[in-house]
Amino acid sequence: MTYIRRLPSFEYVSASTVKEACAVLSNNKGKVKILAGGTDLLVQMKERKVVPEYVIGLKQISGLNKIEENGKAGLRIGTLVTHHEIARSPQMQENFTCLAKACEKIGTPQVRNLGTIGGNLCNAGPSADSAPALLALGAVLTLQTGRGERQVPLEKFFTGPFSTILEEDELLTFITIPHLKGKSGSAYHYLTKRTAVDETLVGAAAALSLKAGDDVCEDVKIGLCSVAPTPIRALKAESKLKGKKLTDGLIEEASRIASGESRPRSWAEYRRDMVAVMVKRAVTEAWHRAAANKKGSGK
Amino acid sequence: MNKSDLKDYAVVGKPIRRVDGPAKVTGKATYAGDLLLPGTLHGKILRSPYAHARILNIDYSRAMKLHGVRAVVTGRDFPGVRYGFMPQTRDQLPMATDKVKHYGEAVAAVAAIDEDIAEEALDLIDVEYEELTPVLTIDDAMKEGAVIIHDHMDTNIAASSKMHFGDVEKGFKESDYIREEKFTTQRVSIGFIEPHAVIVNVDNSGNVLIQGSKQSPYITWRHFCRAMDLPLGKVRIINPYVGGGFSGKHEALDLDFAAAALSKKTGFPVKIVLSQDEVIAAFKQRHAKHVEIKIGMKKDGTLVACECKMIAEGGAYASVGPFNIVIFATSGLLLPYRMSHFKYEAHRVYTNKPWCGSVRGQSIPIARFAFESLFNMMIDDLGLDQLEVRKKNSILSGESTINKMTVGTAGMVEAIEKLGEMIGWDGRKKKKAPYRGIGIACSPQVSGARMGGHFGSSAVVKVDEDGGVCLIHGGTEIGQGCDTVLAQMAAEVIGVPVEEIRQMEEDSDVAVLEAGMFSSRCTFWAGHAVKRAAEDACQQLAEIAAPLLEASKDDIVFKNKTVFSRKNPGRAIAFIDLVRNAYYTKGQPIYGRGSYSASNIPMPDLKTGEGDVTNAWAFFAQAVEVEVDPETGRVKVLKSVCTRDVGRPINPMLLDAQLEGGTVFTSGQALYEECCFDEKGRPLQNSFLDYKMPTVMEAPENEHFDIITDDPNGPFGAKGAGEGSNGTTLAAIANAVEDAIGVRIKDLPITPEKILAILKQRR
Repeated sequence: MTYIRRLPSFEYVSASTVKEACAVLSNNKGKVKILAGGTDLLVQMKERKVVPEYVIGLKQISGLNKIEENGKAGLRIGTLVTHHEIARSPQMQENFTCLAKACEKIGTPQVRNLGTIGGNLCNAGPSADSAPALLALGAVLTLQTGRGERQVPLEKFFTGPFSTILEEDELLTFITIPHLKGKSGSAYHYLTKRTAVDETLVGAAAALSLKAGDDVCEDVKIGLCSVAPTPIRALKAESKLKGKKLTDGLIEEASRIASGESRPRSWAEYRRDMVAVMVKRAVTEAWHRAAANKKGSGK
Repeated sequence: MNKSDLKDYAVVGKPIRRVDGPAKVTGKATYAGDLLLPGTLHGKILRSPYAHARILNIDYSRAMKLHGVRAVVTGRDFPGVRYGFMPQTRDQLPMATDKVKHYGEAVAAVAAIDEDIAEEALDLIDVEYEELTPVLTIDDAMKEGAVIIHDHMDTNIAASSKMHFGDVEKGFKESDYIREEKFTTQRVSIGFIEPHAVIVNVDNSGNVLIQGSKQSPYITWRHFCRAMDLPLGKVRIINPYVGGGFSGKHEALDLDFAAAALSKKTGFPVKIVLSQDEVIAAFKQRHAKHVEIKIGMKKDGTLVACECKMIAEGGAYASVGPFNIVIFATSGLLLPYRMSHFKYEAHRVYTNKPWCGSVRGQSIPIARFAFESLFNMMIDDLGLDQLEVRKKNSILSGESTINKMTVGTAGMVEAIEKLGEMIGWDGRKKKKAPYRGIGIACSPQVSGARMGGHFGSSAVVKVDEDGGVCLIHGGTEIGQGCDTVLAQMAAEVIGVPVEEIRQMEEDSDVAVLEAGMFSSRCTFWAGHAVKRAAEDACQQLAEIAAPLLEASKDDIVFKNKTVFSRKNPGRAIAFIDLVRNAYYTKGQPIYGRGSYSASNIPMPDLKTGEGDVTNAWAFFAQAVEVEVDPETGRVKVLKSVCTRDVGRPINPMLLDAQLEGGTVFTSGQALYEECCFDEKGRPLQNSFLDYKMPTVMEAPENEHFDIITDDPNGPFGAKGAGEGSNGTTLAAIANAVEDAIGVRIKDLPITPEKILAILKQRR
């Protein structure tokens, strides 16, 4: 009988710098797991899906739990920022609505208080809610090792269910989101499998900007989760919208294209139908938010 | 409740704060999982990975060598005496011996110095199995040449029931409109928050002390003593607070037996706390049912005849299955409406799935789902009014059913009338929004069915020399609020504040335990016993007070901690002075004793289904409003209105909460929940991550109204009430969804996928 069992024994290492954490990773390749919030890791350890010899805690590393302006690059979110902090941040709610909404959906209040944005991405579950929002926002990840760091766009990060391009000695430290240009807005719409506190069945995020003065879509990105082996962009649906004057009919068409881009396995027919509905709702809300955006050029 | 219904009670009928509230919300209340005794060892249970297999050999020598392991037990460490709810279907053993009959059945248990070692030791027990073909569905179980699950039987049918009252063929001939439909309902888990937990100590003389999370410690005690071949006096059961029961914690379970055998073997107390995944995978669920139902009515909606065939898929053991299928008809179909002809045939079959038994509402929710759904469809077919037809057919006070169940007070008609007013029934056609719907359903509820064996209630009221009151009763506080309601009754009689009534854990050495917390029984049965015990104590005190007040003892009144004659209220003595007089002058300690039983009712006749089962019937009407999202098929339950005749609610606030809980609980079966298994009978859900029950996020807005009928058979006029909304919610939601989308879904749960498929077809 498969149980959720007692936690297996392991050695806990509290790292005080990124360098130190990377050194532990590098010296014990394959035997280490990183503890950010632990809401996924501890469950996987109880299920014996992973049995690490060492668990590295990142809590003592300064700077990883902050949301900061990073000049022209945009907003820099530390890997340890919790879902709760993002969901409740007025700045996020206003300027990166889809991400605040996605983080508000994750788990329960207890999970949101512990779970982190970096952990949600590195766990790489196909249903990770923060991923479609960050895909729509064009997020770039900072990955660090003892040898240096690299910047990787989020869409290049996932390689399959629960797998990423992260090297065994590599750490996700920051997520940078560029500020949306012009009259812009974003939205996240999702359905769960059954109840409100439940895994996402279909999640769709859209972020778009309008040409000044009219309803022409200057740029749009659409992210999806739970409908393919990894969170994905709906690129064909995006091109259908880009450069065109937005109408309900056009959005409906683009939504159907997005549905075709999805590759769900279980509940396939229902999920594909729901991709169209969720994309339609997310793009429509993002459009209305952009149209109502009085700041004009955003930030 | 109307203002005119308020009687001059001090605490009865008042929405007072629950007596266990402060301890529970501050985390100070003690549950089984909190208990530790000196030297406690920790136990874990090895469970079967197969749904159906023969056990060829168990070798636990490697486990015994693990440092920290103190003992291992298997099925062979028990006397081999079978136990079960019903004498005719005793089919359970403490632990599997030769065969496992469902996934997760216990095959061995380990006691060690801590939980980690106990769990590690489970991996070192080698069990050799021979896999057998699992029987998973009703068809598997009933087909020709079916694999037989229980070696002592030659079929997989655990029990059957047949009833026929009136002449159903004649009834259908006399009907103007007949319709027949098939409904199917799924297995659901029970979903209490606190998983099963127990600590057992067996002392040097072989005396057993069990402290566990038990809904009905009496039933556990009896099962336990039978299967362990011990006299009742050798076993003491003390019950701490319980984190929810919903009928999931009546019986003795594998962990109770395992902890006792391990404690006996080691000489130390043994504690076993299950994890929620064990509970979801291997413990009691609600029967899955196939129901074929046919109703005949007159053009004007008058109900004439009903015929029903039902098969209940109930897993590896019979539990209360034989009773469940009888209650389905008697309490579930034959009330709350009058009918002249009724025919019923039901079977309860074994499968290699976790066993099913009673779950909140017993079989009434499924029976009412089938009946009220078809009834609703037929009323619509005839273009009649849902409320009018229900009122027209509702049973009235003093009437009897076709199977000779007598109804004392019945406020069904008034409840339906009030329901219509509160939900805005008459105006709803005018302003009906698209994809919104209202569904109506009605249900009866017994005030505790009389059962076999010990069934009486008793209580003792001990008045201390300083005026304090100790109330000893057999009820178990499982969150339903019985300690509050019983304290209200005692306080009302003795004339002291509720806060001055103290109660203790149920203890089989101190109290005569209630037969159990089932069948919405406690307020009615234990309530009578408590009221009588309090009256007995007052009677003893009145005899002492009478000469002091120069009054007749029959005129003595106990109120506001004073005692006086109703003929001369101006001359009073303080309650405490009277009690001191009893103790210090008369040398007479005050013990009041009370008991109650529905002994006027014969045992329900399980063979014919004829005759009374209870001394009072409560009646419930519910309206549910839903909204369906036509693009996604999602159903949102917006509002629930519940009107009820429970005689007189002792604590309306607790009753509202319990009925709201029942509505949310049952909405899970209507819309979200289903226990799923793979082709080998292995459960696909292991935790509340995959098994989704509704939470407060799904809960609707609730409204309530009491029709006060003051039942002469009930304590302070009260009837049993706790499971009332469980009987109405399934059908009310199903009827509301049909009202919203115009199509009937007859197999539960009503999922968005099913709704969307129908809506797509129609487009």
